[in-house]
Amino acid sequence: MQNRRPGARTRIAMASACALALCGALAQMVAPVAAHAAEPPLKANVIHWWTSGGESAAIRQFAEAYDKAGGQWVDNAVAGADQARATAINRIVGGDPPTAAQFNTSKQFHDLIDQGLLNNVDTVATKENWAAIFPQSILDSIRVNGHYYATPVDIHMQGWFFYSKPLFQKAGIANEPQNFDEFVADLDKLKKTGVIPLALGGQPWQEKITFDAIFADVGGQDLYLKVYRDRDVNAVKSDAFKKVLASFKKLHDYVDPGSPGRNWNDATALVISGKAGVQIMGDWAKGEFSAAKQSAGKDFGCFPGFGPHSPYLVAGDVFVFPKTDNPNAIKAQNLLATIMTSPTAQVAFSARKGSIPIRPDVDTSQLDMCAKEGIAIMKDKSRQLPNPEMLISPDVQGALTDVITNFWNKNQSVDDAQKAFAGALKG
Amino acid sequence: MSTLDPAEGAASLPQGRRLAEAAAATAGAAAATTARPRRPRPRRPRFSPARIGIYAFLMICALFFLLPLYVMLVTSVKPMDEIRLGNLLAWPVHLTLHPWVDAWQAACTGLDCNGIQVGFWNSVRIVVPSTVLSIAVGAVNGYALSFWRPRGAGWLFGVLLVGAFIPYQVMIYPMVRVLASVHLFSSLPGIVVIHTIFGMPVMTLLFRNYYAGIPLELFKAARIDGGGFWRIFFQLMLPMSLPIIVVAMILQVTNIWNDYLLGLVFAGTKNLPMTVQLNNIINTTTGERLYNVNMAATILTSLVPLAVYFISGRWFVRGIASGAVKG
Amino acid sequence: MGALKSQALADVAGKPRHGGAHAGGGGEVTAARQRRPLRPLRKRWPLAAWIALLPMLLTVVFAYLGTMVWTARVSFSNSRTFPSNDFVGFTQYVRLFHNDRWLVSLQHIVLYGACFIVACIVIGMLLAIFIDQRVSAEGVLRTIFLYPYAMSFVATGLVWQWILNPSLGAQAVLRKIGFAHAHFDWIVDQDFVVYTLVIATVWQASGLVMALMLAGLRGVDDELWKAARLDGIPRWRVYVSIVIPMLGPSLSTAFVLLFVMVVKLYDAVVAMTQGGPGTASEVPAKFIMDYLFGRANIGLASAASVVMLLTVLAILAPFFYARSRAAARKDG
Repeated sequence: MQNRRPGARTRIAMASACALALCGALAQMVAPVAAHAAEPPLKANVIHWWTSGGESAAIRQFAEAYDKAGGQWVDNAVAGADQARATAINRIVGGDPPTAAQFNTSKQFHDLIDQGLLNNVDTVATKENWAAIFPQSILDSIRVNGHYYATPVDIHMQGWFFYSKPLFQKAGIANEPQNFDEFVADLDKLKKTGVIPLALGGQPWQEKITFDAIFADVGGQDLYLKVYRDRDVNAVKSDAFKKVLASFKKLHDYVDPGSPGRNWNDATALVISGKAGVQIMGDWAKGEFSAAKQSAGKDFGCFPGFGPHSPYLVAGDVFVFPKTDNPNAIKAQNLLATIMTSPTAQVAFSARKGSIPIRPDVDTSQLDMCAKEGIAIMKDKSRQLPNPEMLISPDVQGALTDVITNFWNKNQSVDDAQKAFAGALKG
Repeated sequence: MSTLDPAEGAASLPQGRRLAEAAAATAGAAAATTARPRRPRPRRPRFSPARIGIYAFLMICALFFLLPLYVMLVTSVKPMDEIRLGNLLAWPVHLTLHPWVDAWQAACTGLDCNGIQVGFWNSVRIVVPSTVLSIAVGAVNGYALSFWRPRGAGWLFGVLLVGAFIPYQVMIYPMVRVLASVHLFSSLPGIVVIHTIFGMPVMTLLFRNYYAGIPLELFKAARIDGGGFWRIFFQLMLPMSLPIIVVAMILQVTNIWNDYLLGLVFAGTKNLPMTVQLNNIINTTTGERLYNVNMAATILTSLVPLAVYFISGRWFVRGIASGAVKG
Repeated sequence: MGALKSQALADVAGKPRHGGAHAGGGGEVTAARQRRPLRPLRKRWPLAAWIALLPMLLTVVFAYLGTMVWTARVSFSNSRTFPSNDFVGFTQYVRLFHNDRWLVSLQHIVLYGACFIVACIVIGMLLAIFIDQRVSAEGVLRTIFLYPYAMSFVATGLVWQWILNPSLGAQAVLRKIGFAHAHFDWIVDQDFVVYTLVIATVWQASGLVMALMLAGLRGVDDELWKAARLDGIPRWRVYVSIVIPMLGPSLSTAFVLLFVMVVKLYDAVVAMTQGGPGTASEVPAKFIMDYLFGRANIGLASAASVVMLLTVLAILAPFFYARSRAAARKDG
């Protein structure tokens, strides 16, 4: 091609290019100033499974508090706990991690830690002095190798006994039962008055919760820890454990035939409407009572177990923070961790969720009678018992749930159930 | 299969001579299944106990088949108090279309209470590109396998067919990781790719069988005229493929719309298809179950494939049969 | 040019390309036999064709073979939420067959599969035969019997869950009518819930079998009926001894389709019973999905997947082999 002087068109093009470059340079000089003046909110993509009325009202407290502190909460609710966790894990693996994802205070997220897929929140933990504030069982769950990998947001007790006060009165039950035999006697009295003594939703997880409550109360803390924490098969094969299984199965006589497949809140509805006497359920059931305008101590009563030293099964939810190098995302994660554990947000959340706050230094006047009792019990470290999910992996928990639901629903002998439980525990 | 030889069966009958001849003659023609035109119907038999029995059986079966549709429709227009009364089959006393409105725009899946319309549009966004892509790929594959038959392609095709029988669970987790590594997991392109992959065996089979019925002379003439691979495909084969494309479309639209498992795993929370949304609405609510809204949502979810079925009618059957006849 | 054209003409004068009726697997054998000896026109390595077949190649190698190999590899490791590289031999398989839930799911799928396949084929066959009797309103009847197949398994499961609900469904209706002690709470009964799955899915799939059988029946020549009438053979006898055997290919197609549906049974269980009550309607497909995602143990889930795959191959391979042999013999 011949060498030609640049034609008119070429010259205009070059001039435009220079102008654009100049503008770009100017813009870059101006940008930091402008950005500083209006910082974009810290976007946080949060996966959770709190989709029922009470639960979503609770998490909205966190969302509003976070937004007020300069963040932007992008809600990613997924129906169903298993689904939500699977979604979170798949997205983390898939390279599109959320800013935060909900898990239970358990071993569910420990595989993620092992693979190096989570950010730690040590900065927030040290600043807020978590080691001094949180209960030991929670700390054990969120602290791995000295680093804090999860933010706890609530403490739930999954084995409360809720009962209808009018029905208890009608049946002539004056006091709350102090041991298992008294409890069975009370159930008999309820049966005589024609109501359903024990409202149970026949789903595997509910049957497991009922079993764990009986296990902790009848079997005692030592046996419980030997089985769940130490995975001691001999403890399972002992007579004491046999007694636990037998006591558990005895409750089957007091459940109505409509129980299989029933949702937990439908079972609570039975107690609320006076059709059933007692439900063994976690403290999240209080949301149903308050939605029906019933108040603790007047319309319904609650006790955490038999006797003044009954174990208090500690469970809860945490948020984990998938690994990211994006500085804005890290800032968002730290802000989330700070907001979610702050005293005001904790109280607002707990009041709607039915849980108790994870920190003792909060104003508990808004909370109901059962929650206040729970907080008082939590001060006694000797009564705290980690729930099974904190001690065993999800698939062992699943296998044990299968054993329990089998034992509950079929005519299996206690010996066979014992063997099956031992086999599943070995894993 | 030799024990089922019709000619033998006919010969075993005492007076079966003529029958045996006819059976032998028919056995050859019997293999030609779906494309056969209907034979003429000269007269209708008179009413006899046998006819009455036939009609009675068919009526009873029809009632069984229609029962769920009736229950769905009737439940979806009743208010909740009537449903609580507990008579599934009762005609509604107070007809209300409110459940339909609720199902479409107000039912809650998770925290979003925007109804199942979200799922509807997601399903549309999934079905359209998946159908187009899987038919395109299937047509090209069938064309290449049928006319060009490169060496070794036959074996490849055989393995592909076997793959159609593999349970999804074997392939799900690795596909999750593969898609994740190309950043397609939990996205619309990802689920489209997945549906294309899983639809490839049946689509390829359909088109291959169809092209097998096109005379080779046509193809050869086109080659002689100087046509290359793609030119012959676009200018000759594709225009001739309209019938089978219709069948393929019917099959794919129905299958992909009704899919649950793949959409659940691969589509991501923003693109959940209608079937997944439906299950979320119905099986994961706490509080009282609104059966009328649930039934309305179920009907809404089934509307598209049912419409395809009712409109396409005979093509639907032809599609299933020809896609299903695996030699 | 002239040489090519004369070659083309010679080809055109030859035998037709494929026996049009044979398709798919058996077609491989027939195609090979019908390939004509001299083919200088056709390239053995047409580049354009191979490029066009690239998606198929990638799919087969990666999506099918690759995933099978990967799953098998994971099944030999101790993977939990994420795949790990260790090798533990057959440990997962041993654990699998000591897992009560897996064993129970196998029992259920066998029971369900037998009932489902038999019921679908019997009902489908009967419907096809009866409709074939020149009934009026045949089109309407066919539509009625086949529309359930257009619905998704999720919708089917949900509707039947509603119908079989003890307190609000069939049992309640029966009691209202007057059968005060009617008992139809199968869906919450440990021993009978599997049969509710059978009912719902048979409702959905019988129409398909009917359509396949009807297509086969329509292939039966009128000459056959005329000859049978002339020979004085009763109609039902004709059906039993001649027509049903003639439906062999349609029956085997139906069997294959139904078998695949049995193995893939997941959506209906999730929608209808969620595997419950307890584990009374657990099926292998759901077991695997639960362990893959919910229970975070992909090692065990992969072992179960491999077992499922081997079972499917073990049942279908001899089946297809027999069919291709029969097809080859028919041509011979």
